[in-house]
Amino acid sequence: MILKIAWKNVWRSRGRSLVVMGAIVVGIWALLFGTGFMNGFMVGYMADIINHDVSNMQIHNPEFKNDYDIKFYIPDGNKKVEEVRNWPGVKGATTRIIVNGMIASSRNASGVQIRGIDVQHEAIVTRLDSLIFEGAYFEGIKKNPIIIGKKLAEDLKVKIRTKIVLTFNDGNGYITSAAFRVAGIVKSSSIKINGQYVFVRQEDLSKVLSNGNNVHEIAIITDSRIDEELLVNKYNAIYPGDLAESWRVIAPELAFMQEMYGQMLYILLVIIMTALVFGIVNTMLMAVLERMRELGMLMAIGMSKLRVFVMVLVETIYLSIIGAPVGLFAGWLTIRYYQNVGVDLTEYSEGLEAFGYSSILYPYLDADAYIVVTIGVVITAFVGAIYPAWKAVKLNPVEALHKI
Amino acid sequence: MSVIKVENITKVYTETAVPVHALNGVSFEIQEGEFTAIVGPSGCGKTTLLNILGGLDHPTSGRVEISNIDITEMKDSDLINFRLNNIGFVFQAYNLIPVLTTLENVEFIMLLQKVDKKKRRKRSMDLLEQMGIAEKANQRPSELSGGQQQRVAVARALASKPNFILADEPTANLDSVSTSNLLDIMAVMNREEKETFIFSTHDQRVIDKARRVITLEDGRVKSDEIRE
Repeated sequence: MILKIAWKNVWRSRGRSLVVMGAIVVGIWALLFGTGFMNGFMVGYMADIINHDVSNMQIHNPEFKNDYDIKFYIPDGNKKVEEVRNWPGVKGATTRIIVNGMIASSRNASGVQIRGIDVQHEAIVTRLDSLIFEGAYFEGIKKNPIIIGKKLAEDLKVKIRTKIVLTFNDGNGYITSAAFRVAGIVKSSSIKINGQYVFVRQEDLSKVLSNGNNVHEIAIITDSRIDEELLVNKYNAIYPGDLAESWRVIAPELAFMQEMYGQMLYILLVIIMTALVFGIVNTMLMAVLERMRELGMLMAIGMSKLRVFVMVLVETIYLSIIGAPVGLFAGWLTIRYYQNVGVDLTEYSEGLEAFGYSSILYPYLDADAYIVVTIGVVITAFVGAIYPAWKAVKLNPVEALHKI
Repeated sequence: MSVIKVENITKVYTETAVPVHALNGVSFEIQEGEFTAIVGPSGCGKTTLLNILGGLDHPTSGRVEISNIDITEMKDSDLINFRLNNIGFVFQAYNLIPVLTTLENVEFIMLLQKVDKKKRRKRSMDLLEQMGIAEKANQRPSELSGGQQQRVAVARALASKPNFILADEPTANLDSVSTSNLLDIMAVMNREEKETFIFSTHDQRVIDKARRVITLEDGRVKSDEIRE
């Protein structure tokens, strides 16, 4: 009967209760969509970086990353990559020759990292072919084709088929140059791909370096269900002379971003739920003060203070949890919709791309977020209920009965 | 048998700058089956006395025994339970629970007493029959007249099988017909069921119906008239 009375009491002031419920719906919807929106930024950015640049894990000679000295290659790198491709959980693996050098056109020059890639496997691991903005993926130019980023192409003032010259140290202490023709221009949210990397065929670069097909980097993309740390540990155990690292070590700023954005949900949850608590407390206090005489009567005829407390508590919880499923559903629906169609931010694309963000954003929220929000709402309901319920039991029945 | 024994109770309110002596050495006994009116001018201490008899307030000094149990020093939490099982209340403003039906209002007190549902329902309907408003069982208080609401309140007070019923100005908000009907019902309950009624009232019609009239003045018992 207490539950029944509490439920009916919620609807005594229908308008007021609906306003509070509406506030909860909007608050939860805003929380979910806002978090999903920010997650979308983060997930999209991270996916771009991991999928197109860093990959899930990389393998190097431990000495190589100190100075990017090309003499520190991975021993038997080509054999090792074949082995790794067959490991469970590995979706793709590719090798790279990496040389730091200069690129020069007739109009400008710039420092770059030259990546001699395995054309076929690079496309599997980084989907570099999907980033082609202009030209083709190593087609159309027979001799020494090169792919550069859009920003670099603009800086060098080059276009498809333009000749450029790469200059670098060949590993024997000699500066060497080679001419390449632009076969394709890529566009990516990765600042490095857009402006710092250039991609040539491994065999073309090998010829100039005379390095005997040795490679400096193996990049591996894994199944999303696999924790790449397991593969990193496995490789390092088998080949202790090499250095395998996950993206968390190679790009710690990504790991930090992921952690930071993960906290955003909790921060926003606390802010929004705190605001809602005030609304709930205010509404319930009004309800208690309006019913002082009734509450005094209940205590006078023998309703224990505990029961009065529970009744007011249950009323507050009803008020809070009715709006919650609606808010959760509205948030889920909005995110699902925009997950498919994307949020178009092309109006701000220049600014976004400067920071490496895509201009079409796909909000994302995993199932845990909904559970966290639900728990947050329940806690908010309890916290919001305590003060009004306490006020109710503190009433003196004699004084309450004589209130007009 | 004494249902209520009041021994030399005083009540002093000290919240104001000048202490207010609401009751000054009040003593009397109420027997089972009495139909007693406590009367007096405004400010004489009627409400204070009723609050103390009902266990809603503590006297500053003196003793109150109800069915040989001293309630004077009882803790508030024990008093709540005591009231539930021993005292019935009828208020001036009816004070029914507006979101419950008539039947549910009467049942409510037995629910607090953890009475079995079937028994609750039967007793509630029986009481509403006795009050002459059984057909209103499924209606809410807002759909009843003042007189009908007060009869529901009386039924609720009786439902818990109390030792006595305290009625604070029960007819103050009723018209003459409703007052007459209510008093007749209470008189019948008193005569046939031996229910003990104690009224605080200004209403002459209630005073006329009472078989004992205790008159208070300035916090003291001015007269205690027993009529037959």
